[in-house]
Amino acid sequence: MSNKEFPPFISAQLQYLFKHYRSPLKVEQAWSGSKYNPGILDRFTLLIPYCLDFIKWDIIYNSESPNAAPDVIFGPGDEDFHPFHAISGGGGGDFKSLKNSLSDWSNKDPTRLLILIQALRDQYLAYQKKCVGEVDDDRLKFEMSTMLSREGIEMYLSMGIDKPEEVKFAVPLLDMNINKMVFGCPWRQPQKIYLQVVYPVSRKYVSVPSAPRLKLVSTSELRTLFSVDDVKLPPWMDEMCMAEYLPHLEESLERQISEAVSLIDVRRRFIEALEPLFGRPLEADPFFCRKAAFLATSGVFTFLVYFYISTQFPKQQPALILQSTQHFHPQGTAIKSPLMKNYPWSPRWEASQMAERIFEYLVEESSNFKRYCNEPQPQH
Amino acid sequence: MEDHHHPLQKIAISGPTLASLIQRVSTSPGDVDGLLFGHVTQMTHSSLSDDTTAPSSSSTTDFPSNLIATITTFLCFNSTLSFYTPLGDLHPHHPQPHPHHPLLGWFSARRKTPLRPSMREFSVTNSLSSNITFPITDSRQPSANFAPSLFLLLTTPLHDHIIHTHEYRAYQFSPFSRRFDPKSIEVVNIGPGFRGHYGNFTPKAALPWMSCELRCPSAMNEDSKEGEGGENLLYLKQALKDQEVMDLSAEGFDVRNLSRLMGPEAASYTAGLEDFYEKMLAKIDSLARLVESSEAKILGQVDHNRQLRNIVSKPIGGDKNPACS
Repeated sequence: MSNKEFPPFISAQLQYLFKHYRSPLKVEQAWSGSKYNPGILDRFTLLIPYCLDFIKWDIIYNSESPNAAPDVIFGPGDEDFHPFHAISGGGGGDFKSLKNSLSDWSNKDPTRLLILIQALRDQYLAYQKKCVGEVDDDRLKFEMSTMLSREGIEMYLSMGIDKPEEVKFAVPLLDMNINKMVFGCPWRQPQKIYLQVVYPVSRKYVSVPSAPRLKLVSTSELRTLFSVDDVKLPPWMDEMCMAEYLPHLEESLERQISEAVSLIDVRRRFIEALEPLFGRPLEADPFFCRKAAFLATSGVFTFLVYFYISTQFPKQQPALILQSTQHFHPQGTAIKSPLMKNYPWSPRWEASQMAERIFEYLVEESSNFKRYCNEPQPQH
Repeated sequence: MEDHHHPLQKIAISGPTLASLIQRVSTSPGDVDGLLFGHVTQMTHSSLSDDTTAPSSSSTTDFPSNLIATITTFLCFNSTLSFYTPLGDLHPHHPQPHPHHPLLGWFSARRKTPLRPSMREFSVTNSLSSNITFPITDSRQPSANFAPSLFLLLTTPLHDHIIHTHEYRAYQFSPFSRRFDPKSIEVVNIGPGFRGHYGNFTPKAALPWMSCELRCPSAMNEDSKEGEGGENLLYLKQALKDQEVMDLSAEGFDVRNLSRLMGPEAASYTAGLEDFYEKMLAKIDSLARLVESSEAKILGQVDHNRQLRNIVSKPIGGDKNPACS
């Protein structure tokens, strides 16, 4: 509904929050609490990344008294989270900034919401740490004591019916700045890889605690360079602990990432090798060299060739799509070939040979494609 | 800290009180909050049972949960943050304990929000219940005090298509576990069946109480309460004062004179009485005009306030929302 808007003071604070918060936030829904001005949005659900998931908090402003500080309603499972009444650790720097952020609230200051959310989230982390620390499980207590020294670790206790069920950890891996490794890096947020470790809270009668569930998670933009789904996690031995497991994993990850970075140049050389045969590319991805488009002709038939190069290149051959510049669907879109992935290929070839073989293949394929374009197109 | 936390068995409210509270909330332009008044009584219900195998399961504490909080009145502020700061601390001039209107707790009404206490509501309830106490009526323990730990939350559903229009939930705050314990609300619709405890629902607000008692003894006085010595004297003094105010308006027309309406002097007396009525009507008329003009002034001020607020909160064209997915 386009006639619904945030009043300027909320909108300014939200925009500042989105721009300056350390990870991407989302507003899930926004609505109005005013009887007479239902078009003025003054309450919304904010999704805040926490422990590789989101926490949902309702931020309640009041458009009827715009000078008043907003209130927050936490998630249904967090009824014991009272940021102003933390039993331990009250009076710290965070705590003070939290109190100040509300006690001298000003709706004219766009930074206020950011300060509030940051301080509340810090308190939330402390609260979850306390909850996890209170779980009666020897292995968890041990893992907590060894892992807490890692910077940026987050944890979350999920409750079953009346009893703790499992504890999730988000362990940031690798102390390296991946952004710096990519030349001319376009990423705005620092890219990170986390290991998600889920410990089931052990039943008292089970002697050997079951292995934790492990999963690698990366920030979304990293996927153009390196996919964590391709990483094979080292096996988890019985009686193992995180402190033993992490160094091996980090070592192998570090190796794989530097390899992934070096593969950018391999892809770049391949695109450069295409140039003598296809001419200058119409467009090419300059940072990660994952995509390139060329204009090709076969007689009077001109068409575009798209190269999609995976992070596994040269092990995996590029996928090709041809697109006619002369034939169109009745809807007005250009006719494209299906994705071509099965043409002669060897990862051991030189880049120039790869380019030549693709060129030869396309010389043959272009006539097929032309025929395909001239066939009556199936009506969608 | 002294223990003022006594778990309630339930919370009772009369239908009209709840209805007027909901009406007040739903007619307000935005979120509101306010105070709840009433009293806490110890129920003296018989626990006689013909089941001898199961002894009464009352807990080991001195106060088995047979306390009932009865909400008789409420005071609704037309906004939020009325008696507390954004941090949830009470204002310096926060509601003071008063023996005649025990403060049971407070309520918060917010539109289209989840039916869960918020961050600030927790703080306010915590402050309120740790700063004020008042005695429990009919308590077995003479010194038992009750802290205003009630919290009534009123919301409206988040989605418009839901069939009901209001939701409410009552809690009692426990300062030790720092939790809101949900309590059931008994809505008592006073009628012939409830005569027995009708008195429970008499408002206890500290409005200036004006005695309308006639000076001549009548049947009406017979069931008036026999107060204790000192309090009675005070009460009489107040009654005398009130009577003086009444007499001033009556301009010498004593109720006893009404007897003159019968009998021989009736004809002349009627004229005098009519004259008096006319004067009274004129007075009421002028009073009504006064109220009307002051109402108009208030309305003008409210309109002005709204305009001022709108200047702050109305979106100005061209201001786009941030990504809302």
